[in-house]
Amino acid sequence: MRTKGWQKVFSFTLRQYIKTKSFIIGTVVVCIINAALFALANILPAAAMSDGNDVPSDYTLSFEKVYIIDETGLISDEDISALAASGIPTERSGKSSDEAVAEVAKAENEQAVVVFSANKNADGEISSLNAKTFYSKAGKDGSAALSSIMAEVLNIANVKSAGISPEDYAKTQIPITTKAVEAGEAELNSYASFFQYFIPMLISGVLFLLIFAYGSTIAQSIAIEKTSRVMELLLTSIRPLAVVIGKVLAMGVVSFGQFLLIIIVGAVTGAVTAPFGIIGQIAPLLSDPNSLISGMPESAAQVGIDLDKFDLAQAINDITAKITPVNVILMIAVFLIGFVFFSLLASLFGASVSRIEDLQSALQPYSLIGVAGFLLAYYPIIFNIDSLEAGSAKANGVQIFSYYFPISSPFSLPSAIILGQLDMAQSFIAVIVLAVFTVLTAMLVSKIYETIILHNGSPLKFKDMLKIAKNN
Amino acid sequence: MSVTVNNIVKKYGEYSAVNGLSFELKEPGVFALLGTNGAGKTTSIRIILGMLAADKGEVLWDGKPFFACDKPIGYLAEERGLYPKYKVIDQLIYFMTLKGMKKEAAKKAIDYWFDRLDVNDYKNKNAEQLSKGNQQKIQLIAALAANPELIILDEPLSGLDPVNAELFKSVIREEIKNNKFIIMSSHQMNTIEEFCRDIVILNKGKTVLQGNLNEIKKGYGRVKLTVKAEGSIIELAQQCGLTVTEETPNGCSFNVQSEEQAHRLLNMIITGNIPLIKYELREPNLNEIFIEKAGANNEN
Repeated sequence: MRTKGWQKVFSFTLRQYIKTKSFIIGTVVVCIINAALFALANILPAAAMSDGNDVPSDYTLSFEKVYIIDETGLISDEDISALAASGIPTERSGKSSDEAVAEVAKAENEQAVVVFSANKNADGEISSLNAKTFYSKAGKDGSAALSSIMAEVLNIANVKSAGISPEDYAKTQIPITTKAVEAGEAELNSYASFFQYFIPMLISGVLFLLIFAYGSTIAQSIAIEKTSRVMELLLTSIRPLAVVIGKVLAMGVVSFGQFLLIIIVGAVTGAVTAPFGIIGQIAPLLSDPNSLISGMPESAAQVGIDLDKFDLAQAINDITAKITPVNVILMIAVFLIGFVFFSLLASLFGASVSRIEDLQSALQPYSLIGVAGFLLAYYPIIFNIDSLEAGSAKANGVQIFSYYFPISSPFSLPSAIILGQLDMAQSFIAVIVLAVFTVLTAMLVSKIYETIILHNGSPLKFKDMLKIAKNN
Repeated sequence: MSVTVNNIVKKYGEYSAVNGLSFELKEPGVFALLGTNGAGKTTSIRIILGMLAADKGEVLWDGKPFFACDKPIGYLAEERGLYPKYKVIDQLIYFMTLKGMKKEAAKKAIDYWFDRLDVNDYKNKNAEQLSKGNQQKIQLIAALAANPELIILDEPLSGLDPVNAELFKSVIREEIKNNKFIIMSSHQMNTIEEFCRDIVILNKGKTVLQGNLNEIKKGYGRVKLTVKAEGSIIELAQQCGLTVTEETPNGCSFNVQSEEQAHRLLNMIITGNIPLIKYELREPNLNEIFIEKAGANNEN
């Protein structure tokens, strides 16, 4: 049997590869970077979302004196009394702003001067308002919170001066979102729209790196075996096709295992950093996003923040709902079949060289095929971003083509499955097309491989290899 | 067992790498496959091992076609090959398990050969850390540790120092004693002469001489004469119809037509009172036969 003994090649290749320093160091570095990225992706959005809510509800200001210099005429005594009543010892200053600032600068306790001012246009109308907070050294910790409160005080005072009650003002601050959705197509919120192009771009990039990089490693391994003449020794014990199968499958397991490890590291990092980031904030919503609606907060800013969380939770829920066992199996199948397809091609070109220095040039056709497949999976998404951002879930024609075309489908199909761009039947058809094409490639490669593996001399061109396949 | 190579032909385009090679190994011992560089020896070996398909002809094991990977064959290739970055012991165990040995049996056999070839210190080193000679020893272990019935040695002694060459020769002698079938290719004719019973000489893919080495030599007769005397013997040799083929400090060499021609020269030296230091009339050695057969064809 031409494949007898592939298991021994598989286990030897697997054991030796995972023992190499480059693999160990590479995996550790990638895991560290991945953990850092996951932590940042968790923490940074939470920080960004909290920008409009700088004053935590449980934060207590400890300023001993806050002087107000109001150059706008908008701040009433009532406002100052309300501030004092809320625990901020506020009083008007009779001094000029320069004198008051100089005095606060000398203070050793927590003091601040807040200067409210207005810019006016040529008609004498207010064009912008300013609330500058000058704090003493000791007041540094509470300065941001105080500044934020004073901005809100000035804002409300301005609203009241226009004859609007704070309650009515809050009602006008509910955010309005826009969407343009093709009738009959799924409607997406802003996060779901973002995922529609971010996830395919991310997945196609990661798969390209995995499939292509490991394919190149297989080509290198075959070329080293051939050029170091180990292949001649192997061929007294085993057929060439068994060598290729053992190697391709071993590298497939290494690749898939490394990918899983990266995902696990990411998941663990996400779980560990959850209390400090967005995951912790939206986790309760993931099981039931609608629970938020019943407890809608009163503050307009708060409403904005939580609607964001609600959208994100809903978008994540929509995607996780599609991670069914069947879809997971389909995605793994696409990954493995795609891996085998590109690895077979790589091994063929790797076997065509007699000197290791010729490998890079011999791999050019392989690189062209791989990059063409990746670009076909990647670029249509970029051209479709406007439509996706507007809230449409519909893939464009080139995207759909890339799902069925075997050189691009290993990169584009997994995200199409997870985002529901294809229904179950369409997904199966795309996987079958890829599998059939890979089997045909394997048959072609096996015809050529056994002849060229002992070829010595100048590297064989692709057309020479096709001629060999024809003659065989 | 027996191995039969039956009229194998291999062409690359118009170029004939092997053209009608036939021979048979019926008894244990060493069979020599000789030829100049590019004569087709390695191609023939690859065809015997099933790595290359012959355009014509067949190779049979006990009268039946076979795949080398299914038979107990050990191979030391001309161009040595080991994984440079892997530990020697790991790759040897791998090679042995590919030959169907269990891991424990492989370890035991490898340990024996590490001792026999004195390379125990290199067991856990990467192959690239070993000298060329020591790498060659590891390759010999890879060829022999699975206890094959047929051993193919392509230039086994090339690049070895005299001490290690002698070690390799002693191993080959042992394998002969153990009734192994050995096909050996070498450019070191004295080594071939030391071990081989039957030979085939290839030139540009064609068989130019084939048979039992002793019978081939007998067929030539004692036609090589070397004479060393204290005076000049060249004039006397010319009177006997002999021309000097080589003149060295060890004497003059001649090709003689018959033993009588050589005896006539000896008589003339004695009669002329020329003090004689050396007189040797012998069969041609393999080196001389090889140069005559392969060299003559190359000149054509």
